[in-house]
Amino acid sequence: MTDDPFIEAEYCQFTKNGQAACGDNVQIMKLDDGRRLLAAVCDGLGSGVKANVMANMTGVMSLRFLESGIVDIREGMEIIMDSLPMCSVRKISYSTFSLLDWRLGELGRIIEMGNPAYIHLRGTEEVQCVCERKIVSKHWPDREVREADIDISTGDRIILCSDGVTQAGLGSGGDLAFGWRRRGVLACAQDAIRANPDISAKELARVIAERARDIVPGGCLDDITCFVCYLRKPRLMRVLSGPPFYKERDAEFASLAKALGEEHTLVCGGTTANILERELGRRIEISMDDIRKAGKMPPAGTLRGVAKVTEGVLTLTRVTEELDDGNSAEGQPGPVSLILQMFDAHDAVEFLVGTMVNEMHQEPSMPQDLDIRRTAIRRLANILRRQYRKRVSVKFF
Amino acid sequence: MDKVKVEICCGTSCYLLGASELVDIELRLSPDIRGCVEITGRPCLELCERENIGQAPYVRFNGNEIMCAATPEKVMARIVELAGEGGSSC
Ligand code: FES
Repeated sequence: MTDDPFIEAEYCQFTKNGQAACGDNVQIMKLDDGRRLLAAVCDGLGSGVKANVMANMTGVMSLRFLESGIVDIREGMEIIMDSLPMCSVRKISYSTFSLLDWRLGELGRIIEMGNPAYIHLRGTEEVQCVCERKIVSKHWPDREVREADIDISTGDRIILCSDGVTQAGLGSGGDLAFGWRRRGVLACAQDAIRANPDISAKELARVIAERARDIVPGGCLDDITCFVCYLRKPRLMRVLSGPPFYKERDAEFASLAKALGEEHTLVCGGTTANILERELGRRIEISMDDIRKAGKMPPAGTLRGVAKVTEGVLTLTRVTEELDDGNSAEGQPGPVSLILQMFDAHDAVEFLVGTMVNEMHQEPSMPQDLDIRRTAIRRLANILRRQYRKRVSVKFF
Repeated sequence: MDKVKVEICCGTSCYLLGASELVDIELRLSPDIRGCVEITGRPCLELCERENIGQAPYVRFNGNEIMCAATPEKVMARIVELAGEGGSSC
């Protein structure tokens, strides 16, 4: 299960200069244990709050239609176009969109109206679709919907953009008379993949969006959104927390701890750390610098070559709150930043939770602490799964 | 002369009871004393589970001497004492 290909779906977005809200909206939903992906990249007409609302409505509605499967998506499109408010002056008001509906092992379906055409890459080669259809809206004959079936294999990437990307630099003359265009995006993605064949979806989306933003000086002249999905071998990390229930299993626990290496292993909890030190005959290093970087939090240390090490409950609780609030690693105390970065750099997270209860926590004076570790980790696991679309497993030891 | 070894406990109980107050003791020591100590963190000194011992936070000196209810002032004073005992070579 942990080695099954993983759909990494991420995006990067910049808001038009001077606007409080982004007029583009991205919705991503994973279903069936991560085996089905639904995504929508919507670009509300104009910019600012109104565009944002329109894009958002379009994104949420189309994903609901795709998810439920009750309404055919073409009918769904009509409903969306009928229900969006209309500009009284220009008589137009809608959001353009790209939708992706794809179940692992089946053909993926892309539906686009008004957005730049998707890009499908296998390595650096562009892949053509299996078949393509054009649908003209019944109620809105000037709007054309393109539908394509695509065959995605492991290692492929799909890129969806708003026109803020393809039209970046528009009118600035020379090569950019017509903007960066789709072929500019394509070349940029190909270069990035050539330079780093394993580049993550998140990183590739960032590279493209930043290039679009910086193509001419002056920042974003339009909302910029780039979505990338990458069917990849999952990057696995392991989190060990809590001493095993049976002492006899300490050695097994330790061998699991050292299987993946320092960059991919996190040990949370002092007693757990001490067990690993004893079992592996190595010392955990926590420098004065680590202590300072942690501020008020317990510092992170290193079990060289094996794992990063942090305190348990306080740190995990704080990390869970930061994740729940959607905060990034930037500006966080050392250990919190470390853990957030590790989650960010991995697709699959395996928690190995030791279930021996600390003496301290068994005191009747602290009943609320009973089982605190298990509760904390369950909550963290759920957030990683639901909000961050990670593949998460929790095993008790 | 060996340096004075100071280990600050970085476990849950010790941090809950104020170990973070100790973060800047190194910077607060005079430069000559600073050269005589080696301060590091430890995941959990495993004293928090023991009965009949003073309160956390705990600090360990030279691998065997335990200080309970450690404060920056107490820790710094003990470092100065131990560095003095070590003679002037350090
Ligand atoms: S937390 Fe300090 S001794 Fe355990």
